[in-house]
Amino acid sequence: MSAEYDVEFVEREDRDARFLVQGITPAFANGIRRAMLADVPTMAIDTVRFVENSSVMFDEQLALRLGLVPLTTPPVGEFVEDDTVTLSIDVEGPATAYSGDLVSSDDLVQPADENVPIIDLKDGQRLEAEADAVLDRGKDHAKHQGGVAVGYRHLQRVAAVEDLPEFEEPDRRIVRGVIEEDGELVPTSEFDHDLSNRYPGQEVTLEDVPNSFVFHVETDGSFSVEELVTRAADTIESRATELENAVQL
Amino acid sequence: MMVPVRCFTCGTVVGEHWEEFDERANEGDEDPQEVLDELGVDRYCCRRMLVSHTDLVDVVSPYQ
Repeated sequence: MSAEYDVEFVEREDRDARFLVQGITPAFANGIRRAMLADVPTMAIDTVRFVENSSVMFDEQLALRLGLVPLTTPPVGEFVEDDTVTLSIDVEGPATAYSGDLVSSDDLVQPADENVPIIDLKDGQRLEAEADAVLDRGKDHAKHQGGVAVGYRHLQRVAAVEDLPEFEEPDRRIVRGVIEEDGELVPTSEFDHDLSNRYPGQEVTLEDVPNSFVFHVETDGSFSVEELVTRAADTIESRATELENAVQL
Repeated sequence: MMVPVRCFTCGTVVGEHWEEFDERANEGDEDPQEVLDELGVDRYCCRRMLVSHTDLVDVVSPYQ
């Protein structure tokens, strides 16, 4: 695919962004979405060795909770699949064990959120465990899914056509996403997702702009949104290259 | 038992907001809707994780 395409950010934060991509096919837009969910490797705890667990939860339950804690994922090339990073946790009650209590053997792999409660420990209870984090993909386990709630909508073009009759009760026109208004991009949250707030007393038309997609991407903290999107595009490329090599004579 | 780490539906980490939500909306008398908005828990899948959660650790801890 050598056609030109444009990317424009509408909202941009570290873990949450909305951007417009113009000039790609719906199939490619969906390919990127799926790659962001299932094909970008992230770090997550996979094996836990319990030294002591006298809490009210079983070892397996705690291992699942530890696995779901997002860990920062190192830059590409630092780790390959099958490499492990050991994290340890040692908390004695009365206290709550938090994800921030995990001590990592590698500075590049740290809990992305420090305040996730793992288990509430009462007087005399203790949790001591060693955990191995591995690099894997979202299609193998949801804990390795770097992007959460990734989706896209068509960009919608709004135009006012005519005035409504003077005494007619205006209907609500609910629209969500981002609209285009004389070339300007306006998130619908600016007018409470209701076009009758923005165009009072006017009849408006709404149409999808072909091949323009507004992506909404959030990450779990493993990496930034930019990192997630570029890595997703890289996985598509590497799989395409693999296919090309496989079918060559 | 303990609050789920992530939202069952979308996978957003919601566990980190539990303690503040519990303190302000369950123990305190703030409106849960406003607390969730301030915490940045926007989607209804994530909101129900916190709204419908009950901590049972204190209930089961005597029965070790």
